[in-house]
Amino acid sequence: MTAIETPEQAKQDRTYHEALVDLVYQFADDDFIISFRGSEWLGLAPHIEEDVAFSSITQNTMGHAFLFYQLLEELGEGDANSLAHDRRPSERKNAVYFEKKNGQGTYLEEPYYDWALTVVRQYLYETFKKVKLEAAAKSSYQPLAATAQKILMEQTYHLAHWKMWVTQLQHATQEAKVRIQSRVEEAWKEFGDALELGSKAIDMKKLGLLCGEDELKQKWLQEVEQHVASVPTTPLEKCLGNGRAGEHTEDLKQAINTLSEVYQSDREAVW
Amino acid sequence: MADKEKINTFYKKYEVFSKKNDKSPVQHQFSLLAPNAEMALNIAQENFMRRENVIDVWVVPRNEIRSMTSEERKQWTKRLDNKDYRTTKGYGYLRKKWREKEQGMLDEKEILSWKEVKKK
Amino acid sequence: MYNLVEHGIYTKEKPEEDQEKYKEFMARIEAGEKIEADDWMPDEYRQTLIKLISMHGISEIMGALPEKEWVPKAPTLKRKLGIMAKVQDEMGHGQLLLRVAEDLMAPYGKDRGDVMEDLLKGDLKFHNVFHMPTKTWADAGVIGWLVDGAAIISQTNMLDASYGPYQRALQRICAEEVFHAQHGEAIIMALAEGTEEQRKMLQDAVNRWWPALLMFFGPASAETTGSSKQEVTTKYRIRKSSNEELRQAFLDKYLPRVFALGLSVPDETVHYDKEQERWVYQQPDWNEFKNIINNKGPRSQERLRLREIAFKNNEWVREALAQPAIS
Repeated sequence: MTAIETPEQAKQDRTYHEALVDLVYQFADDDFIISFRGSEWLGLAPHIEEDVAFSSITQNTMGHAFLFYQLLEELGEGDANSLAHDRRPSERKNAVYFEKKNGQGTYLEEPYYDWALTVVRQYLYETFKKVKLEAAAKSSYQPLAATAQKILMEQTYHLAHWKMWVTQLQHATQEAKVRIQSRVEEAWKEFGDALELGSKAIDMKKLGLLCGEDELKQKWLQEVEQHVASVPTTPLEKCLGNGRAGEHTEDLKQAINTLSEVYQSDREAVW
Repeated sequence: MADKEKINTFYKKYEVFSKKNDKSPVQHQFSLLAPNAEMALNIAQENFMRRENVIDVWVVPRNEIRSMTSEERKQWTKRLDNKDYRTTKGYGYLRKKWREKEQGMLDEKEILSWKEVKKK
Repeated sequence: MYNLVEHGIYTKEKPEEDQEKYKEFMARIEAGEKIEADDWMPDEYRQTLIKLISMHGISEIMGALPEKEWVPKAPTLKRKLGIMAKVQDEMGHGQLLLRVAEDLMAPYGKDRGDVMEDLLKGDLKFHNVFHMPTKTWADAGVIGWLVDGAAIISQTNMLDASYGPYQRALQRICAEEVFHAQHGEAIIMALAEGTEEQRKMLQDAVNRWWPALLMFFGPASAETTGSSKQEVTTKYRIRKSSNEELRQAFLDKYLPRVFALGLSVPDETVHYDKEQERWVYQQPDWNEFKNIINNKGPRSQERLRLREIAFKNNEWVREALAQPAIS
């Protein structure tokens, strides 16, 4: 596959352009929604020092979403801010598990957020992100490959952080073990679509944009099995729907309403 | 008054040190609370060095540091001001002597400039 | 963000001080030396520092909450990142200050957990401004601009504080406040130069925050609310200026800027008296101030509830790791 150097070049081949845009939306929307959930935690983490470190990871991750939205901007999809704030749920490509609320309540009222869910989700997410970025770092679309390489440098810390949490809690009290394990089992029912690449998966592989779904899944599983004490033997499912196909839950609606509240109050204004 | 620190607690005190670049010494930053060294190290950089370069971080359990006590600081850090013989200050008169002999003095600037030796 | 308000924790009969040690201590203070955590210090000094710094620290932690309400809602990606970094810093300032306070409390066997319990019981107060509601995005701007402005005035005033660990924490904090000031200015500047609606939103926020901003520095004298710790903190060279001097400094710096943006404050009498060289303004309701800091402000209970849930609901995490991890 020949390397595509610029957005203009990418636009010349319709199949290439469509597959590329779909893939970049997945990256952008995954990072954006997971960092939105992270931003809801700010000030509410189990420990002040952890709150500060977690927020850095959230900010970095939103910064990554920003980079991907900018790639889309260059590819003619519209400006980064409107891509983040002004798309309906059915247009969003993030995996459904990442939009799931942090727990009961909202960040404004009765936030019974679950640290076990966050630790498990962030760990599974960062592991998945690493595998997918490593594949993207070899992408035929050079701007994507360059962005992926850049992000990987910073993302290593994120993965180390959540690996530490998942490892420590799994080796701690009985209560912690049970809480982590039940969130792992839950994740197994909901994580499925994260590892899929959507309707353009075959084109993506054929055009050298990314590896295939099987390879992605296999590498992710290999990593996860090393750190999760007891990986469920059942196959991964996508009980909440398929986000890669634009299927989403009520939780995403809540997220979009919140994150775009001010933006929507006047879309033309400069904020 | 001795500190009464609980042993089985999430809130263990760690002192945080960091190094800015290859040439800089390790510098004390601040302290944080963490349940173990692993976590202390993992969160230290984002707590204290979010806006500066770091190439290394150390965390040390507070109770592993034998620092001077208040009394020791008072007693051991005061010295008589009569140690010129130990520093270049006590040998400053050499500059004039060498000048009389039309030679320069081997001062700090001169000696540290010897880093580069002419290639033969 | 801080202001010292008298409250009733750690009150204890003042023991007979060792006169010799006390004299030596005061000589060090007056010579401008820094006192360290394990140095001998009079009980009054330790108690004053514990109250001041634990209140300062917990106010940063509680102060993260009103601004945080707008973190997930910030209108652009850049604003989302900026306000997140800013609120993260507030948590970080709380961390620095609580560490300083905790080391002062260590001889009493108190730790972070006790500080949180004191807050939830109502024994440890937090700053009046953080009991207020935030109604619009403009509130996030006004907090960043004016509330932080007031905080910068009072914190820089203590940059030479006699207590070494506090002074060093303040150095770190004030360095970051420069970013905070500009972050706040950027938000309000966009609103001030924005649409009619945005300007109205900004003016409304300034109007609502004005009394709280005047209260920020505390009453001018002890008579107003019945108590004030001003004298003790100046005696021990913890801070330099009085409440009123700080308030005047704040008005000096910020009122001309408020007016320059075409904004007003909800006090028709406010003006600069050239002869007295001071701002004349209408006193806020100091009884209301007392209510607010006694956790009877408009959002006191809600904010405490958030902190309580965050602390108690996550207790299992801290319990799980309280013992050395098995690797």
